[in-house]
Amino acid sequence: MENALGIWGPQALMMAITASFTVLGMVMLLAAMLMKRRWKPTYSVEFVFVGIMLVLAWVGDSTSTKTYTAYQANLNAEERMVSGNYEGEGEAAFDRVFTVIAFQWGFGFINEEDEISRNALVVKPGETVLLKVLSNDVIHGFNVPVAQITAEIDPDDKRELWIRVPDEPGKYLIQCVNYCGVGHTQMKAWLVVDAGEEVNDGENS
Amino acid sequence: MATMEMDDPKMGEKVHWEPENLMKGLTLKQILFSNDYRHIALKGILTSFIMLALGGTFAIIFRTELAIPDVQFIGARVYMTLMSLHGMVMVFGFLIPLTVAVNYYILPKILGNDRLLWSGAAQASYWTLILAAVLLVIGRPDFTWTAYAPMSLRTGNDFIWMGYVAIILVAISEFLAGAVLFRNAISSRGGLKNTPLIAWAGGTIGLLFMVSVFPLGFVGYGLLSDWAQWTDIAWFDPSRGGSVQFFLYVFWTYGHPAVYLPFVPAIAIIYTLMPRFLGHPMWSYWSGVAAFILLSIGALPIGPHHFQPLYSVSGDYQRFIQILTMLVFIPSVLHVFNWISTLFMAPIPDSARRAIPFKFMVFSIAFIVYGGATAWLNAQIAPDSDFIHNTYWIPAHFHAMFFGFSGQMAFAGVYFLFPYFTGRMYNQTLGNWHFWLWQIGLFIKITGMGVAGYLYFPRWVYDYLSMPGWAESQMFITIGGYMVALGFLFFLINLFWSASKGKVVTGDPWPVVHDLKAAPAAQPAE
Repeated sequence: MENALGIWGPQALMMAITASFTVLGMVMLLAAMLMKRRWKPTYSVEFVFVGIMLVLAWVGDSTSTKTYTAYQANLNAEERMVSGNYEGEGEAAFDRVFTVIAFQWGFGFINEEDEISRNALVVKPGETVLLKVLSNDVIHGFNVPVAQITAEIDPDDKRELWIRVPDEPGKYLIQCVNYCGVGHTQMKAWLVVDAGEEVNDGENS
Repeated sequence: MATMEMDDPKMGEKVHWEPENLMKGLTLKQILFSNDYRHIALKGILTSFIMLALGGTFAIIFRTELAIPDVQFIGARVYMTLMSLHGMVMVFGFLIPLTVAVNYYILPKILGNDRLLWSGAAQASYWTLILAAVLLVIGRPDFTWTAYAPMSLRTGNDFIWMGYVAIILVAISEFLAGAVLFRNAISSRGGLKNTPLIAWAGGTIGLLFMVSVFPLGFVGYGLLSDWAQWTDIAWFDPSRGGSVQFFLYVFWTYGHPAVYLPFVPAIAIIYTLMPRFLGHPMWSYWSGVAAFILLSIGALPIGPHHFQPLYSVSGDYQRFIQILTMLVFIPSVLHVFNWISTLFMAPIPDSARRAIPFKFMVFSIAFIVYGGATAWLNAQIAPDSDFIHNTYWIPAHFHAMFFGFSGQMAFAGVYFLFPYFTGRMYNQTLGNWHFWLWQIGLFIKITGMGVAGYLYFPRWVYDYLSMPGWAESQMFITIGGYMVALGFLFFLINLFWSASKGKVVTGDPWPVVHDLKAAPAAQPAE
């Protein structure tokens, strides 16, 4: 998603607005309960408040859409959509392409040479990776916390997502976040970031 | 520049009726089948407590399991059964029936009918729900309350059909409850301008009940039909030509209005109790009316935000849902604005500050702010596709709204009605213990869930890895859960003790006294 958690990232800004709004509500409630002074707001105060809500809806919508569109644009410059039957030249922009099968209960990762790896997505630091996720049985979730992306995968279709691999080698969690049967808890995989030579380079490199 | 409409008198403040002891001479036949609204309300309230105890026990069991990583004493199937029943019992068995039952009692009083119109339908609604609850407990479905197809069709449980039938029964029960609320609301005399706010609530939410349960009933039927394979038509099972997309849209066309089904009756209780305790009308009548209407209109089309990061909700449609969800925020903000303004506009009487129902009311407003502010964030597709969708962030949001607000507001209603049901006053000390244990416990629990969600803790797991912060936040939530359970025990002791030993109340149990020190004689009974 790349909607950075830094202090000024769009998502951090949204969190800050939400927190301020909570604090405002609490402070008003406390003041109403504890202050000696009494205050009867007029309707114009309420209208101003509704106006602020409308502005906030606009801010939320435009920020979110901007962030998401930027993510999608990277995914598919031509069609500008995350989903659907994605094919073609856009793939070349990614360092690595995987087909991901979400099943009851686990993930299979198939690389461009049709080699399948169960529950381990082996990549190199800093790569951009395209993931074509599909499910053959029930609705699954696909969440990569370190890449800040979640999607819900429907058995009717597949979805494309892309992630930027962290620079730090190590194991990062990939998990299903949608209840998909009794094995849901075990439905986890690892994003293995390996700086070594044993990673089989795809045709892109 | 205060306008005149602000002082409209018809805002529920004229609620004065005599305390009575309903329990005295109450026969089993009366409590089971009497169509007297007082008996129906009492039965609904007491049954809700049994449901709360049941759902709460389930929660305590799996909360204990989750407190530390690794499997302690329950495995996946037991955990998921408890979790699914916890959700269903709490929402369909406890929350909706409790808020509605309190409304069943207050509506006839405020509207002056002194009887519940269509009380037979209320009776039928009650028994249908009991049947559904029995089926759920016997069938022990483990498909969560959302019953997502095709997972819910492939659980390997031979009695799973009971779960599908229970869904249909819940739909019937809620339809009847909605019809009763609607019928009573429109019996208000004196035109729209003089309709009390609780009747506006009952009218709008009654309509929403009646419209939105049809998709739910269809979900139950479709699952049953797909599971039994009665015909060649498969509604939801993709392996036989059904559509999962169809399921999601049908389910959430009910599922989103469903969150308002306990929410609006709880709001109705605030509009009745607040003027009563403060001794003056609400800040604004029309603001409340507008909010009720806007909320009902906005509720129906926005269900897809529940499954937003899914390919079918994309492009302009996704954006439409995102904007509309943020706009539905506005009616709730109007309500909260109205309540805080009402508290702010005149001195708060000592008698109110002391009353347990009033305390619950004020803190439920705090929880609606705490849980509601995140609604604006949750609506946005970018953060939703990051850490919000199906992580513990979502339980944090809805436990604040369902329990912190609606549940606590229903309990405010119960404490308020206590003298009217028993002729006695509850014990103040036990009430305070209950109150503080719940406020602190709920705050810890909800905050812990929010933190866990922010760290991508997934929903519906009985075991978890030791990722940074996961075990700590789970332990936090469990501690909060235990406090809530302890608070409920205090409440139960209070209920039983005060019903027979509490101080007898005659006259108005809730007199408005501004200075209790100056007028100790007028102090409300303990």
